[in-house]
Amino acid sequence: MRSLAFLIKFSYRNLWRAPKRTIIMVLSLSLGTGFIIWDLNFAYSGSKEVMKEFLSQYAGQYHITHPEYYNKESRKRFNNYKTITDEVIEDKTLLEKSSRRVTAPIFISGEKKTLGVLLTGLEIEKEKKISTLYESVNVGRFLDPNNRKEIILGKKLAERIEVKMGDEVVVIGQALDGSVANDLLTVVGLMDFGGGELEESLAFTQYESAQELMAMNSDTYHQRVNFELEEETLPQFKNAVATRWDEILPEIGVSVRFIDSLTWMVSVIIVLVISLGLSNTLMITFFEREQEFQSLNIIGAKTSWITKSLMIEVFIMGTIAIFFGAIIGHLATIYCYYHPINLQLFTGGKNIIMGGMTIQPLVRLSPVMSYYWQVPLMIYFFLSLTMIYPLIRVIRRSSYAI
Amino acid sequence: MQFELNNVDKVYQSSEEIKVYGAKNISLKIPEGEFMALVGPSGSGKTTVLNLIAGLIIPTAGSLKHGDQDITSMSLEERTKHRLDYMGFIFQDYQLLPILKASENIEFPLQLKGLSASEIKDRVEWALKQVGLEKMGHRYPKQLSGGQQQRVSIARAIAGKPQLILADEPTANLDSKTAQEIIELFKKLNQEFKLTFVFSTHDQRLIDQVRTVLYIKDGQITEVKNNA
Repeated sequence: MRSLAFLIKFSYRNLWRAPKRTIIMVLSLSLGTGFIIWDLNFAYSGSKEVMKEFLSQYAGQYHITHPEYYNKESRKRFNNYKTITDEVIEDKTLLEKSSRRVTAPIFISGEKKTLGVLLTGLEIEKEKKISTLYESVNVGRFLDPNNRKEIILGKKLAERIEVKMGDEVVVIGQALDGSVANDLLTVVGLMDFGGGELEESLAFTQYESAQELMAMNSDTYHQRVNFELEEETLPQFKNAVATRWDEILPEIGVSVRFIDSLTWMVSVIIVLVISLGLSNTLMITFFEREQEFQSLNIIGAKTSWITKSLMIEVFIMGTIAIFFGAIIGHLATIYCYYHPINLQLFTGGKNIIMGGMTIQPLVRLSPVMSYYWQVPLMIYFFLSLTMIYPLIRVIRRSSYAI
Repeated sequence: MQFELNNVDKVYQSSEEIKVYGAKNISLKIPEGEFMALVGPSGSGKTTVLNLIAGLIIPTAGSLKHGDQDITSMSLEERTKHRLDYMGFIFQDYQLLPILKASENIEFPLQLKGLSASEIKDRVEWALKQVGLEKMGHRYPKQLSGGQQQRVSIARAIAGKPQLILADEPTANLDSKTAQEIIELFKKLNQEFKLTFVFSTHDQRLIDQVRTVLYIKDGQITEVKNNA
């Protein structure tokens, strides 16, 4: 133990024999560490906030449906004849947190034109509480829970079928009993999703109105959409399934994973570049001391002792740099919590549209604790690689003479 | 235990045809308490003999023994350990570690030996006292004169209570007065503590003071002179 203490003291003193050089090395590693931690926090918070924003508008965190509602190969396809009731949900607390929806592929006709769209029946009061869909209505108003004959359309859809506020539209589809479903509904609001494709393919009506149109029993519906997912694991049901948003919208899930991977890749490249610079400096430092290693060996220090002291020296330097780097990264993250970053900085001021919806561009950074050990581990790993070549040179030159 | 070289050759071979003898047929016994100098012109092979005795280089032929231990058959790490356990070294340019204080430099080989804290303290104090630097232990090498640095180097060599001290041109970098003081110190340590010294030197003042002088030329001992 005493020998180890002496070894550490020896290594620490050696670290500061060329203070300017050591400070530059520590500084570069600290700034690199700080930037990586900040960058990872930014990427995580960015995707988390953007996804939260996106999912809270319409898609939700997960859907509870009949096991055969979504097509197993592609969740873009669904079987509208597969419905569920509240009886399949054993955990009744889920009923409070989620909203029922009825979906109906229909034709919608204005005075002159007809288009195929997806009509969704919404529990209006519930949706107002747990989603932000109603905020997308920028012309007119959201649906009235007491009026079954209302519809709101995406702005582009209204333009394409040439209808405006107050106009009546005809909806035609096939009811679940095989009959032709049709109704006459009044346009009370237009939704703005920032010009995305959802604007021309979505229409919304009251929940009971959609049920009636589809000739469904009053207790049946297609989806129960939950906007909260406290844990990673989805709830299990006997006669229903829960499907996460990234399965329903795989292209968005892949994008998020791609951004995460890319951020890690950039981090690794940054550390690699810093490590190469450090390797060169370490090599110069070690070779400058070659005569000293010689005399240490002559007076009785084994090569293993010398290499150990060099490794400890680099480890101490790394630890100091990582410590300050983590503080820098953390402070920068906290700063960006109080001063959110506007993502429009990266889009030239243009709106950010995801999955056909406009996303609020402010990202408030929050620290992710796992990065505070993952990044140091990665840096220690690369520092170890950095040392290999200089140490091999020292070990090879292990036979000294006066 | 005495150190012994028997018919030792050290050949430096740069190609098939070119062979240079650093040491040729060297036989030498270094009894305990010996005070010996290896003398010869530059390139004569005296440093090679010093390296051979230390086990820093391995003979091409012949054997190198310390008591009944065959140093030639030891691995690199075993020879390093052997030097730590039985030898002390004094260099022409002192070779003190600039990052350690004088007392810590003396402590260095004792730490490598794994001695207890109290024993290390006692030995460092004893060594500093022997070289007359009791009050200089807290100073860094750069805060000491050349003579004082060489004294620290001597203290480092003797603190481990070695059986043999090898000194390579120990007075070459010192002024005349300091060199004389250092020679007197070597003599005192040899006489008081029966420490064994082998010097490689050009310094006539030192040559005059040693008990045995080995003249070396072209890697061979050409003459052995006893001053006693």
